[in-house]
Amino acid sequence: MSTDVGALTEFADGAIRIVGVTGREVGIVRWHGAVYAVYNLCTHQSGPVCSGILSGRLTATAPGGMDLDNSTPILACPWHGWEFDLRTGRALHDAQHRLRMFPVRIENDRVLVELGPAADEANKASLS
Amino acid sequence: MYNGPVIDCDVHHARATDEELLEYLSAGWREYIVDRGPAGIMPLTVQDGLPNPHGFMRADTYPPTGGPAGSDFVTMRRQLLDRCDLSRAILTFGDDSHVAGHHNPYFATELARALNDWSVERWLSADARLASSILVASQLPDEAAKEIKRHAGNPRMVQVMLVDNPYNYPFGHPVFHPIYQAAEETGRPIAIHGGAGGWANPASTGGGNVNLYFEAHTLWPQVVMTHLVSFVSHGVFEMFPRLKLLLIEAGSAWLPSLLWRFDAEYKGLRREVPWLKRLPSEYVAEHVWLTTQPLELSPKREQVTQLLGWIEGDRKLVYSSDYPHWDADEINYVASRLPESWHRRVFFENALAFYGWTEADVSTPARMAIT
Repeated sequence: MSTDVGALTEFADGAIRIVGVTGREVGIVRWHGAVYAVYNLCTHQSGPVCSGILSGRLTATAPGGMDLDNSTPILACPWHGWEFDLRTGRALHDAQHRLRMFPVRIENDRVLVELGPAADEANKASLS
Repeated sequence: MYNGPVIDCDVHHARATDEELLEYLSAGWREYIVDRGPAGIMPLTVQDGLPNPHGFMRADTYPPTGGPAGSDFVTMRRQLLDRCDLSRAILTFGDDSHVAGHHNPYFATELARALNDWSVERWLSADARLASSILVASQLPDEAAKEIKRHAGNPRMVQVMLVDNPYNYPFGHPVFHPIYQAAEETGRPIAIHGGAGGWANPASTGGGNVNLYFEAHTLWPQVVMTHLVSFVSHGVFEMFPRLKLLLIEAGSAWLPSLLWRFDAEYKGLRREVPWLKRLPSEYVAEHVWLTTQPLELSPKREQVTQLLGWIEGDRKLVYSSDYPHWDADEINYVASRLPESWHRRVFFENALAFYGWTEADVSTPARMAIT
């Protein structure tokens, strides 16, 4: 079941906006043209992860280095700072630990979020 | 009881006199320290440690011929090498180990060089069962690196030892990295010996300098914890992936809880250390070993075993006596506190793995004809 959460232009690039989708809070993220939908519940301690800070990924090729991989959207939970890669929902420190992501598609400049059984199947598929 | 082979990874050897070192110093430094008046030789060791109410040495280890405990090979051979039938003993110096506590970095560098030569000539030549640490004056890390490389061709100079910290940054800081680069290049592990706290700068413990030896000795692990966290956080094991680290005389049962916390902190603070590619506990599991002494005395024996099980204690602990110090641990005491299934690994095989030896390498009973 798809839910229309608004026009694409309502979502600024590089930002996260929380919308209500059939009683659930979902964060809609636009990042370099891609759109992601993430459940606003951190799987660590149930914090409001979508109130956290969105940024690129900090990396280093050697100790002391600090590079920015701006192609990777990272959401850091405001509770405890755990970082998640929004392309997969997986935590950077442990690929087995992940946020719940929902499939998103754009049709006629509208943002459609997939919830329900199809979303569950997509989540399962991304785990395998 | 344990009757198998034993490698003792912490044995303190000492000079009988200051004069004993003179021939190993350069002419200039020898001139600098001697004959400058009635006071005699300038002090060669830093002496600002907290006094131990028992004295630091086991009273029965003082040689009958005089001199400090640990200064006479024959006494050590009788009391330790032969009595305990050691396959190998790793020498770790006595008060001289605090060479990095000297304020004068140039003097410290020369002392470290002289002490290493003294250790080779006076001790390693006496018995093939002995191996020595390479002492370095970490005040000048580039000079320390040269000293490490100077011993690259001597396989019995088996590890680089750090004790005192000349800087107000723990040992993972990049200022020390030339030492680790040289250690890795020459295939030598790093050994951090607890006990610098209270001897020299910086503060003996986090929170402030303690006042009593009782406090200082209880908190020795705290100093080593700081160095270990620093090693991992600054990416020493990323930069030097073949480096091994031995934590000497700092206990071990504290490590599981430290690692649990360390991993938890990494999950939230990874963005400050993006050069770390794994959990801190994974670096420690791959690179770090610990000596047994002083083995934590849990109310029930199985409690300490259970804790050490979290860090694969049967693979990561190496036996150490700490002879001739006042709190030295006996082989059979340690054996009584650990599961029998761990014994051969803790007393022997783990040290083989750490130093890169085979069993054949340490099977030569080369007892020299020194009486």
